[in-house]
Amino acid sequence: MYKSFLQNFNSKVRLTEEEEAFIKNYLTPKKLRKKQYLLQETDICKFIAFVEKGALRAYSVDENGKEHIIQFALEGWTISDLYSFLTSEPATYNIDALEDSELVLISKAAHEELLQKLPKYETYFRIQITGAYIAMQKRLTSIISSPLEERYKNLTALYPTIVERVPQHMIASYMGLQPETLSRIRRKIAAKK
Amino acid sequence: MKTKQTIAVIGATGNMGSAISRSIATGNYRLLLIGGKPEEAKALAKQIRKENESADVEGIECSVEATWEADIIIAAVPYEAEKAVAEKIREKANQKIVVSISNPLNSTYDGLVTSPDISAAEELQKLLPNSKVVKAFNTTFAADFSTPVIEGKQVDAFIAGNDEEALKTVSELVGTAGFSPLIAGDLQVSRTLENMQLLLIQLGIKYNYNWLAGWKILHN
Ligand SMILES: NC(=O)c1ccc[n+]([C@@H]2O[C@H](COP(=O)([O-])OP(=O)(O)OC[C@H]3O[C@@H](n4cnc5c(N)ncnc54)[C@H](OP(=O)(O)O)[C@@H]3O)[C@@H](O)[C@H]2O)c1
Repeated sequence: MYKSFLQNFNSKVRLTEEEEAFIKNYLTPKKLRKKQYLLQETDICKFIAFVEKGALRAYSVDENGKEHIIQFALEGWTISDLYSFLTSEPATYNIDALEDSELVLISKAAHEELLQKLPKYETYFRIQITGAYIAMQKRLTSIISSPLEERYKNLTALYPTIVERVPQHMIASYMGLQPETLSRIRRKIAAKK
Repeated sequence: MKTKQTIAVIGATGNMGSAISRSIATGNYRLLLIGGKPEEAKALAKQIRKENESADVEGIECSVEATWEADIIIAAVPYEAEKAVAEKIREKANQKIVVSISNPLNSTYDGLVTSPDISAAEELQKLLPNSKVVKAFNTTFAADFSTPVIEGKQVDAFIAGNDEEALKTVSELVGTAGFSPLIAGDLQVSRTLENMQLLLIQLGIKYNYNWLAGWKILHN
């Protein structure tokens, strides 16, 4: 438990053994079964979740009840409704498990305390937020201006195992496409190989 | 809260565990029941589902697994068993709410086995230093759960703990069980709460309340 979380942390900011032990006191181990929610919209998101095992998604639901996937999170990824987490406003995302998953949660209270007590945590969090910002900018640019084939390739580069692990309609939802459009792109890419 | 919280009830097959499980199964919770005998916990889960179609409840063998899935853990076990339970679940209960319901009564019901400068709840907090121990449900009898309104008054259920958010969460839980939740103070107040139940038991024996009795604070 916490092994891959600590590995991830150490790859960004190196912790001493004492610091590892200290940080462990603040972590919440959480197992989630497939289809269970970690967060539903309108609740306040009080955690950041690191995925040690499994797969989750964050999605919003539009006024017609249609789901729009914002993000996937596989092993080594972090997922949250950061807007809600940081502002304590109601969440606009739902987060649920696509597979049985093992998570490490950092609660808002633990987060605040770690920021105060462990400068390396602040560095880690800054690197995480920077990464999230870069990913968001890339996704935005890609959605607005890249050709579909390239967008599909970006997706599979970002989440190498995603195609085998989640149903096609979810990938289409992530890309903002109809499932038929996605199949067409995939056939086109396959034909070129 | 819209997101369903998962609650592990350790000792779910006992008097209190089954009464608590039955009553909170009506709320927006997913219950994992653990008993000394797994078949009994599974049978109880089945029965609760039969009584209440919308109940999300399941018997589960291992308290460690259940704790791992849980957001809240209720230790519905005898005081004497708490140390062993705490040691088992410690790692997976990190940062989670653990509800202490026990009254550390002696075998003749005329005193507590704990010394006056501590409570069972504080002892449990020492055993689980990174969990948020909250005292609750110890001032209500198991029989009260099916009748939380006595003589037309909703029985008060006292709650004590050191973490604001955890107290709020447990208050909601106590309310779901049908009692009127009353936050009494920090975890140290558990000393008083545990003695209150000792008194209620003694009064019950003396005046034959037949285990259907509770506390109600009268105020203006
Ligand atoms: N009864 C009341 O009205 C009342 C009121 C307020 C507070 N309480 C408190 O609630 C707690 C439970 O009381 P109760 O009357 O419900 O007792 P109970 O009927 O004897 O139930 C105890 C439960 O704990 C389990 N258990 C016993 N030892 C265990 C261990 N070492 N590890 C794991 N599980 C264990 C039992 O399983 P098995 O039976 O399969 O061993 C059973 O499910 C006590 O701490 C008591 O002080 C009781």
